[in-house]
Amino acid sequence: MSVSREELAAFADGELGEPRRAQVAAEIAADPVLAEQVRAHAALKAQLSAHFAPILDAPLPERLTAPLGGGEAGVADFAAGRQRREARRTLPRWSWIAGPALAASLALAVILPRGGETPEGYAGAQLAAALDGQLVASQPGDAGTRILLSFRNGAGAYCRAFSGNTQSGIACRDTAGWRLDAAGASAAPQQGDYRMAGSSAAAIMARAQDMAAGPALTAEEEAAAKANGWR
Amino acid sequence: MGFEQGVLAILPRLRRFAAGLARDPADGDDLCQATVIRALEKRDMWQPGTRLDSWMMTMMRNIWIDETRARSRRSETFVAEDAGLSVGADGGQEAAVTLGVIDRALRTLPDEQREAVLLVMVEGYSYKEAAAIVGCPVGTLNSRLVRGRDALLGTLGDGV
Repeated sequence: MSVSREELAAFADGELGEPRRAQVAAEIAADPVLAEQVRAHAALKAQLSAHFAPILDAPLPERLTAPLGGGEAGVADFAAGRQRREARRTLPRWSWIAGPALAASLALAVILPRGGETPEGYAGAQLAAALDGQLVASQPGDAGTRILLSFRNGAGAYCRAFSGNTQSGIACRDTAGWRLDAAGASAAPQQGDYRMAGSSAAAIMARAQDMAAGPALTAEEEAAAKANGWR
Repeated sequence: MGFEQGVLAILPRLRRFAAGLARDPADGDDLCQATVIRALEKRDMWQPGTRLDSWMMTMMRNIWIDETRARSRRSETFVAEDAGLSVGADGGQEAAVTLGVIDRALRTLPDEQREAVLLVMVEGYSYKEAAAIVGCPVGTLNSRLVRGRDALLGTLGDGV
């Protein structure tokens, strides 16, 4: 039995149905070359996801929101817009995507839980639910919090890098819950919340690389870790 | 939630897909704006209860294809893009530098592979959902995704 490249991709994306999924999983377990291909697929997915993540956090231009907010209707003249830019092609382009990622200038507020049942420095209930339940391969496209990748840190604990509208960072599982990685946090928390310097997705990925003891978990490993409660 | 609020809520994702599709954030925002306007015009055709994001991604993709065709007809009228980048002193080179390896790699993909990669690997759609947006069979979507992915891995190397 051989596994096609298409099937291998479908496996990595959580798209294969049973019983084929189990058969392919067995082939992968027995073949380091296949396992490496699955890992490369997952790593590329995480990299692309991180690459485009800054757009989700960037402020929306008024010309996009105005037609929806009852403001002045924008004029959607695609061709004219492009012609204008063709005429003045000297303006910096791309910095909109690449800039925030490269400069890690996008500091997102990481709100740490205050009081309640969640210990200081741990993920709150909503984030913890995403960290507990979402798998990279199968999470919904419109998930409020996206898991970028999962890995084990030097101590063997499971860690997950995540990106969301209100919170982005890395959390590692211990006995008390999902402890938020506070690297880069400013020294003085302000009213219980503090800013994680450079917690753009790119910076998070870089930080994950530093923390990880090995490669990111494959979809299979991630599912197994979830089944075991991330312990 | 009203139609406008629904669109507003998914606007960041529409903008992300547009930037990848158009290979350029400024073109992406033009594309996104055209899609928003078209959606408002055609709002009666959207069926509540179905996914607004898929509906709008489909619309955006179709606008992009129309635009690409129109652009190829117009192309002689304009300065070639690469020439344009080196014209002038103000930022052109900087722009070329900040164009990262991933952007460059994505640019080289044929449209049909790029959209498959974006829909599945960035937007997180299932193969079935992505195939519905593109309007092709799931198997075709799967093989375009693999070809696009392999091309990207080849360009980006093993450091991924």
